[in-house]
Amino acid sequence: MTPEGLFVAALPEHLLLLGILAILVIDLVSDRPRDPFLPALVTVLAAAGAAFWLHRIGYVGAPFPGQFSVGSDALAAKAVLFVLTVPVLFLARAERLDSRVAMLLLASLYGAGLMLSADSLLMLFFGLELLSLPLYALVVLAFRRPESAEAAMKYLVLGGVGTAVLLMGISLTLGSTGGLSVEDFRAALAADDFLARGAVVLVVAAFMLKAAVVPFHAWAPDAYEGASVPVTAYMATIVKGAVILALVRLFGDAGAGPELLAVLVALPLLSMVWGNLAAMRQQGFRRLIAYSSIAHAGYLFFALLGAPEGRFEAVTFYVIVYGLTNMLAFACLPKGEDWLRDRLDSLKGLYHRDPRAAILIAVAMLSLAGIPPFPGFVAKFLIFRTVMEAGLVTVAVVGLVASYLGIYLYLRVIQYMFMSPEPARVHTQPATGFAATAALLTLAAVLLVGVFPGVVLGWL
Amino acid sequence: MSEALALNLLLFLPVIGGVLLLALPERRADLVRGLAMVVLLAQLALAAWLYLRFQAGVPGLQFETRLPWIPAWGVHYHIALDGLNLLLVLLTAFLGPIVVAGAFTSITKDVKLFHGMVMFIQFTMLGTFLAQDLFLFYVFWEAMLIPMFLMIGIWGGERRIYATLKFFLYTAFGSILMLAAIIYLAHTVLSADGTPSFAFADLYELGLGVQVQTLLLAAFALSFAIKVPMVPLHTWLPDAHVEAPTAGSVILAGVLLKMGTYGFLKLGFPLFPDAALLATPLIMTLAVISIIYGAGLALVQDDIKKIIAYSSVSHLGYVMLGLVTYNLLGVQGAIIQMVSHGLVAGGLFLMVGMIYERCHSRDLADYGGLAKLLPAYSVFFMILTLAAIGLPTTSGFTGEFLVLLGAFHSAWPQFEQGVSYPLVLASLAVLGIVLGALYMLRLARRLLFGEARAPVAGLRDLSLREMGILGVLVLAVFYIGLFPNDFLQKTEQAAMEYQERILAARDGEVER
Repeated sequence: MTPEGLFVAALPEHLLLLGILAILVIDLVSDRPRDPFLPALVTVLAAAGAAFWLHRIGYVGAPFPGQFSVGSDALAAKAVLFVLTVPVLFLARAERLDSRVAMLLLASLYGAGLMLSADSLLMLFFGLELLSLPLYALVVLAFRRPESAEAAMKYLVLGGVGTAVLLMGISLTLGSTGGLSVEDFRAALAADDFLARGAVVLVVAAFMLKAAVVPFHAWAPDAYEGASVPVTAYMATIVKGAVILALVRLFGDAGAGPELLAVLVALPLLSMVWGNLAAMRQQGFRRLIAYSSIAHAGYLFFALLGAPEGRFEAVTFYVIVYGLTNMLAFACLPKGEDWLRDRLDSLKGLYHRDPRAAILIAVAMLSLAGIPPFPGFVAKFLIFRTVMEAGLVTVAVVGLVASYLGIYLYLRVIQYMFMSPEPARVHTQPATGFAATAALLTLAAVLLVGVFPGVVLGWL
Repeated sequence: MSEALALNLLLFLPVIGGVLLLALPERRADLVRGLAMVVLLAQLALAAWLYLRFQAGVPGLQFETRLPWIPAWGVHYHIALDGLNLLLVLLTAFLGPIVVAGAFTSITKDVKLFHGMVMFIQFTMLGTFLAQDLFLFYVFWEAMLIPMFLMIGIWGGERRIYATLKFFLYTAFGSILMLAAIIYLAHTVLSADGTPSFAFADLYELGLGVQVQTLLLAAFALSFAIKVPMVPLHTWLPDAHVEAPTAGSVILAGVLLKMGTYGFLKLGFPLFPDAALLATPLIMTLAVISIIYGAGLALVQDDIKKIIAYSSVSHLGYVMLGLVTYNLLGVQGAIIQMVSHGLVAGGLFLMVGMIYERCHSRDLADYGGLAKLLPAYSVFFMILTLAAIGLPTTSGFTGEFLVLLGAFHSAWPQFEQGVSYPLVLASLAVLGIVLGALYMLRLARRLLFGEARAPVAGLRDLSLREMGILGVLVLAVFYIGLFPNDFLQKTEQAAMEYQERILAARDGEVER
C-alpha cells in the first residue's frame, strides 16, 4: 500500500483525529474555557465531506490488508453517520456542553469509522470499544440529575458484559476456524459444528446488546433517560446505526443458517412487540424514545434476513430516516428544566404555546410510526420488502403487524400536543438558537428524503 | 392550459392553499376562511372544467401525468382521470367549499389549523382517487388518516379522543395488511417481468394463481371493507361520526367512506378477478346484511347523528351490492349511488350540525314540530330525507334503482340455472328500501312534526349562508335525479372495462 493510500483511505478518520487534537490544543493553550462548537462542526463536516467525496469517486482501498479497508458501502455508511452527527453538535451547543463532550463525541465517531472499515474481528472489537467507551463518560458528563451517575454505571456494566460476550465470540471463532478475519467469521456462519455456532451466537448477541434488541435491551431506557438530550440523540441514532451497519458489513454476502435465522427472526420480532408495548406506558419523553428505539432496532435487525445485495441499502436508508426524525423530535423539545422538559405531560397543549415545534414533533412521530407521506414509511417499506424478497412472507407480515402496535404510542404524543388542555404550570419556552437551527436543518433533510427518496437511494 | 396540467393543479391547489394559510396571522380568522374558500372554489372550477372536457366512450385513462418518483423501484407519480374516479373527484371538489362554508360559525378554535387540515384532507382524498400507481395510492390512502385524526381529535365532542384513536387504529390495521399485500405484489411483478412497476395497468395483467389472489384480495378487502364500512367492521363509524365536528362528518360521509368502495372498484376486484368471483357470494351477503342491519340500527337510535351514521352503512351496502353484480347497470348504479350518498348524507350531517349549533342537543327526544319553528330548515330537511329514501327525481332513486335492477339482472339467469341465493339477496335488498323509508320518516316525523318543542326558545331559521349551502346541495341532488344521463355516459366506458376484466376471468374459468 502506498503512503497516499494510507492517507486517503482513512481520510475521514484522520480528519476526526485532527479535530480532536485541535480542540484539545485550543483548550490547553487557552486560559478560559473555549466553545468547541465551531471546530467540532468543521471537523465533522470535513470528515463527512471526505467520506462522501471518496464514495462519489468510487474509491476502493485497503491500506492495512486484512485489517482496514474501504469501499463504496463503508464510505457511504460513514458519510451518513457523520452527517447525522451535525444536529447532535447543534443540540450540544444549545445545552452549552464543554469541549470534553465534543472530544468524546468525535472519539466515539472515530470508533464508528473504524468499525465500518474493519476487516478483522480484532479491528471490529477495537472500533466497537472506541465507539462505546466515550459514551459511558458522556452519560455522566452531561450531569444534570442524580440518576445520571446510576445510568452511566448501568450502561458501563452492561456494556462491559457486551464486550466480554463479544470477546468470547471472537475467541470461539478463532478456535473453530483458526483465524480472526471477517472471512473466518463468515465461514463460521456457514459451518455446522458446535464451536462455530457458539461463536456466531455470541458475536450476534453482543451486537444485539449494543443495539438494544430484546432481551438485551434493559440498559437502554435508564441510559437514555439519564443522559442529556444530545447524548441521548447520539446514542439512539448514530451508535445504533453504527452497530447495525457494522454487523451488515460483518455478514457480507453470507446468509444465516437455519438456527441463526430463527434467532434473527424471533428476537427482532420480540423487540418490536415489546418495545412498542412498553413505550405506550412511559411518562418520560426519553424513556419513550428509548423503548421506541428498541422497536426500531428490531426493524433494523430484520433487514439482515434479506438477500445480501439489499441489506446495506435498506439498513442505511433506515438509519438515515430514523436518525433524522429522532433528531427532529429532540431538537424541537421545548427549553426548560431538564426533568420538566422530559416529562410527556409538559408537552400537553404544546400546539398553543409553540405551534411550529408541535407540528414538527408531530411530523417526527408520524414518520417514526411509518405513516406516509413521511419518510419513515419508505424506510419501513424497504425493510419489509427486503425481508419478503428473501421469501420470508409470513415473517414480513407478522413484522408489519408488530410495527402496527407502535402507532398508538406516537399518536399519543400528538394527542398530548394538540388535543389536551395545557397543564396548569409549565415553565418551558420554545426552542431557540442552536436547537432551532438543528430543527430546521433536520427538517430540510427530512423533506428531501421524504419527497425525493429516489435521489437519496441513488446516492447509496 | 392543457388538461393534464389542470389536473395536477387541481390536486396541488390545496397544498398551495395550505402553504399560503401558514403565512396568515392566527388572529385573522376571516382572512383564513376567505382564503380557504377561494382556493377550494378555484379547485371546484377546475374540476368542473375537467369534467366537461372529459370524453365519454374513450377507453382508458385521460389527462395522464406520469413521472418517475423512485426510479429504482419503478414507482411513478402517475395521476389521471377515468370513468371510475371522474365523478368522485367532482364530488370531492364540490364538497370542499361546502365544508368550509359550513364551518364558518361552528369552528372558532384554532381556525388556521382547521382550514389547514381541510386542505390537507382534500389533497389526500383527491390524490387517492387520481393515483394510477399503487405506491402513490397507498401513500395518499394512509396519509388521509392524519388530518382526519386531528380533525376529530381537536374539534370533536366529549369522547373525541377515544373516537379518533379508534378511527385511526381501526383503519390503520386494515392498511397494514394491505401494505403487506402491496409489497408482495411488487415482489411478484419484479420476478415476473424483471422490471419493477407499481402501475395499476401492469398489475391488472399479472395473472396470479387463484390461491394467491384470494389471500391478497383478503388483505385489500379488509382495508377497504373497514373504510366502507361493511358489517361487521363498521363499529368505528358511529363513534367517529358522533364525535366529529360537522365538517368532519361531512367529509367522512361525503368522501372518505367512498374510498373503500372505490378501492374495491378500482383495485380489489379487477386486480384479483378470480378471487373476486369466488368471494362474490360472501361479499353480496355482507352487503345485504349491511343494508338491513344498518337500517335496523338506524331505526332504533335516538341520537340524530347516529341515525344518519348507520344509514350510511346501509346505503353503502347498495354500492357494494352494485359492484358485485358485474354488469353495467349495477356498476354504474353503484357509482351514482356513491355520489348521491355523498351529497345526501353530507347534507344531512350539515343539517344536524346546524340544529346542534342552535340547541346543543342531538337527542331526538328533545325535538318536535320544527316545521312550525323553522320552516325553511324543515323544507330542506324533508327534501334530503326523501332523497335518502330514494324517491324518484332525486339522486338516491337513480343510484338505488340501477343497483337493484343490476342485481336482479344478474340474479335471474342464475336462478334459472338453479342458483337461487342471488335472487334471495336481491329481494332482501329491496326490503332495505322499505326499512330506509321507515327510519328516515321516523326521524323526519319526530323532528319536524307533532307538538312544537326545542331545547332552546326563540330559534332563528336558516341564515342566507346556510340556505345557500343547502340550496346548492339540493340542486345537485335533483340534477342527478332528473338528468343522470351525462353522468352515466361518462362512466359507461370505465364500467364496461371493469365488467370485462372480471368476466374475462369467469370465462377463463369455464374454459378450464
